Amino acid sequence: MNELSLLYNYLLVGGLLFVIGLIGFLVRRNMIVMFLCAEMMLQGVSVSLIGFGRYHGGLPGSESSDAWGGAWGGQMLVIFIIAVAACEAAIAMALILMLSRRAGKLDAAVWQDLREPGQPPFIDQQVPEERTEDRVWPTLTPAGIRPKPDRDELLHRPRI
Amino acid sequence: MTGALLAAQVPSWQEALACPSFWAIAIGALAVWVLLPNRIAYGKTLGGALAIISAGLFASDWPLLGDWTSQAVFWLLAAITLGAAICTICSRSPVYSAIWFALSLLGTAGLFFYQGAQFLGVATIVVYAGAIVVTFLFVIMLAQPEGHSDYDRISWGWFPKTFSVLAAATFVGLLTLLLGNLKQESANVPAATAQQAAERLHATGGILTEQHMAHLGRHLFSTHLISVELAGTLLLAALVGAVAIAIQGKPRLDTRIEEALR
Repeated sequence: MNELSLLYNYLLVGGLLFVIGLIGFLVRRNMIVMFLCAEMMLQGVSVSLIGFGRYHGGLPGSESSDAWGGAWGGQMLVIFIIAVAACEAAIAMALILMLSRRAGKLDAAVWQDLREPGQPPFIDQQVPEERTEDRVWPTLTPAGIRPKPDRDELLHRPRI
Repeated sequence: MTGALLAAQVPSWQEALACPSFWAIAIGALAVWVLLPNRIAYGKTLGGALAIISAGLFASDWPLLGDWTSQAVFWLLAAITLGAAICTICSRSPVYSAIWFALSLLGTAGLFFYQGAQFLGVATIVVYAGAIVVTFLFVIMLAQPEGHSDYDRISWGWFPKTFSVLAAATFVGLLTLLLGNLKQESANVPAATAQQAAERLHATGGILTEQHMAHLGRHLFSTHLISVELAGTLLLAALVGAVAIAIQGKPRLDTRIEEALR
């Protein structure tokens, strides 16, 4: 395996993943999608770090640098990135839940009152029509035998 | 393999126009611009076709990894990761976005396995796809139960969309330019050097050794011990903070009086 071209390919894949997350964060208005994009940028950085770690493991002199682990430094950083991303997701989810309870929707533009004084407000342009195929939400295929409800269940849960 | 691996050589316009990567970045940026939520008719078909052309141009310009099996596996994993990432930012429904993001994470985990980072691949699947994406789906379920909303069908407008895509294309272009020297070097690596690198990776302390997990644990709990403790403290603080934010205290007095009077 050619280690140099492996490094090149991984750096570009990581850069592309980072950039796609960047576009999504700047363009989308749904707060949950914005945070998914932030996580995607972290993933791009992780891919680059793993590529660098592998490359340094193949360099001459990487065996002797035991104190810093040579090749292992990249993997250590990615472990801590995963831990910090988990913390960030927990806090972000709690915040988004509170914000959506107050505003009633996940739109980031609801909170534009927090902008600087003197900035013009953001006003929606023409919103595209909702198409019929957009109204369909993901559903699960029914599997297994349909359960037979008995009398008690029918009394308690009228909608089964 | 010595020398400056990161050195930008500014190409002339003729060289840039003859380079497949330039066209791949330009067509890819156009594809993302078309695919993002907007009012273009047949946007998905057109954008998907442009994205496939862009991926093909990238594939023709990136250096080869060696034999064709490893090349095919790498391209499959990279295509899954990047394609699912583009679908994440382009789906109008946040549920589909979260599911595409989980697929992109599976692709990333595959890329980690491909580099020999076994533990990180498993940790990505367990922590990200298993915990974080499920939490996202729970929050979507709690916060947006009544179907699609108009703000998912429109972005902030044409200005942020165009300029973020342009900024992204510039970033990737500069990265490609900066790594040009690395690409040239990778074309003529002597076989002996590659052999030595493989031996070092497979040696006792290397990444591809059979004792991968043991070495990873040894480095984690000796060199980075304080960082582990700090990460644990951070997780605890995040847990306490999330609970403190999410739990609503008693309603305020005037609200309670209003409810009593109702």
